[in-house]
Amino acid sequence: MKPSPGALALKYLFILLACAVVLYPLLWMVTMAFKPYPEWTTVAGLTWLPQAPTWQNFEFVFYGHAEGLVVSLDRTITGPLIASLVTSICGTALAVVSGTLASYAVVRFGLAQSLPLSVLQLRLFPPLAVMIPVMVMWAFIGAVDTWWGLSLIYGIVTLPFAFWLMKTFFEEVPVEIEDAARVSGCSYWRVFYRITLPIVKPGLATCALFVFILNWSDYLLALMLTQKEWVTLPVYMATLTSAMGGQMYGMKAALGVIAAIPPVVFGLMIQKHLVRGLTFGALKQ
Amino acid sequence: MTDQAHTGETGTNKRQSYWEGVARDGQKMGFWFILPTFLLLLFIVIFPFFMQLYLSVTWWTPLEGIPWYSAWEVFSWFDNYLTLATDPRLWGALWRTALIMIVAVPAQFFLGMALAYLFIDQFPGRKLFYSILLTPMMIVPAVVGLMFFLLFQGTGPVNAHLGLPADFSWLTDVNRAMISVIIADIWQWTPLMFLILLAGMLGVPSDQLLAARLLGGSNWQNFVKIILPRMKTVIIIALVLRAVECFKIFDLIYIMTKGGPGVQTETISVFLYKQTFGDLEWSYVAAIGLTILIVLSVIAAKGLAYMARKQG
Repeated sequence: MKPSPGALALKYLFILLACAVVLYPLLWMVTMAFKPYPEWTTVAGLTWLPQAPTWQNFEFVFYGHAEGLVVSLDRTITGPLIASLVTSICGTALAVVSGTLASYAVVRFGLAQSLPLSVLQLRLFPPLAVMIPVMVMWAFIGAVDTWWGLSLIYGIVTLPFAFWLMKTFFEEVPVEIEDAARVSGCSYWRVFYRITLPIVKPGLATCALFVFILNWSDYLLALMLTQKEWVTLPVYMATLTSAMGGQMYGMKAALGVIAAIPPVVFGLMIQKHLVRGLTFGALKQ
Repeated sequence: MTDQAHTGETGTNKRQSYWEGVARDGQKMGFWFILPTFLLLLFIVIFPFFMQLYLSVTWWTPLEGIPWYSAWEVFSWFDNYLTLATDPRLWGALWRTALIMIVAVPAQFFLGMALAYLFIDQFPGRKLFYSILLTPMMIVPAVVGLMFFLLFQGTGPVNAHLGLPADFSWLTDVNRAMISVIIADIWQWTPLMFLILLAGMLGVPSDQLLAARLLGGSNWQNFVKIILPRMKTVIIIALVLRAVECFKIFDLIYIMTKGGPGVQTETISVFLYKQTFGDLEWSYVAAIGLTILIVLSVIAAKGLAYMARKQG
């Protein structure tokens, strides 16, 4: 059944319209990052593409000063960028390792059948509703504003995703393969390490990227559990204005672009598995 | 025939006894495998829960220099709970959170459903359009907040395109601030609905759809009679996911408006954040948090029981 040309044209029209709506805010921020100060607002007329493209905004956030700008920055992007990377990676490692191990035990040995639901509950509550004891605890053990304190909470809040995602991947591994290896004398650990893990390797990579995106995207937890040394990129981006007084649109846009790139790239890489990840494995594509 | 069944049976028996013999090792390894997750859960659930309960019946704040474990010195019975029952700011924040959910989630649902329907068949450029349409949900929510903050500035492109003067404000206007925030949320999360609903739609057996088309059902009939009933679970999942996330909304709003002007866009999360860091009323926040926790748990348990009953 071929749709009529009219229907097809209408369909394209709608899709193009939707794409335009999606791209409108994105384009404004991305071009803003390359615009010099006079083009930041529409006072001198609206321009979509930078009339005088410049790297000045990026230069400014990386070096703390830029040619032609009187203001300077006492804290450059380097610290927050490293903080974001370190805490996201460590948090991801924690979530993926513990989630993988636990889901394997649940799937293969039928242990702790109530674990999946209790893990899922972690995602139900608004973080702010449970944050007071966490902040008190973190202060008590000296974890506030440290890389491991933030990594620890990241690992915990993304554990449900890692657990459920790996659960679905393990469920797809035919038990016969493992049985065969067992019968030929492999220990449980060897079966897991040598047989199952290599089979779910693509799933593991997907899971890690997915969890990394979630950790990288966090704003609230870093806002509450860091103060200075380990402030992450989104928090740094948001505080740039208040510290400078004036609106640093261009610099913020540059920071926004930098913060947005990794999740978008990784997200497109694991596009096929996004549904599975976002619905805790309930749906597959 | 009998022979085959016979060997099959002994095969299973043999395997079972084999597994029984070694199962203990497996159980042992399984225990070690579960341990890290179990400890993390214990660490983040059990202990904080009791601490929250404890702090919520005191007047403890981090200001006065009393360590948290000595909070009993300022024991207050249920004063925090009595306060929260009649706190207009809390109820206002709850109402605004509900408002965002009531407007944004259905909007995302219908837009996502419409888009998914357009993507059900193959057409040139489908993959590219699909990728473009998914981008918003991959962007860091805080950055989305920044993007819409830039868009809705008086001197931003929205006013310029709509031909409005530069002093026409969005984010600092009593009514339009909420609209701006909702637009931003719809922009970011419609793709999620689209993604999930499309996956569900593609899961509808294509031969059934084809048969219905050949029998001459109109597109609308096919959609309502064939596609929708088979997507019920997917629709529930999508709506629940979005509703839960929408209830938590913080990043977007805090960056766009900081809950302002006044309390016009103050949702429950923004309200709790301000109570925590602005007013430092930690015991009060603990009481509110615990109440939310209990209410949500009851709702979740009821929901799960309902689903189980439907399936069973």
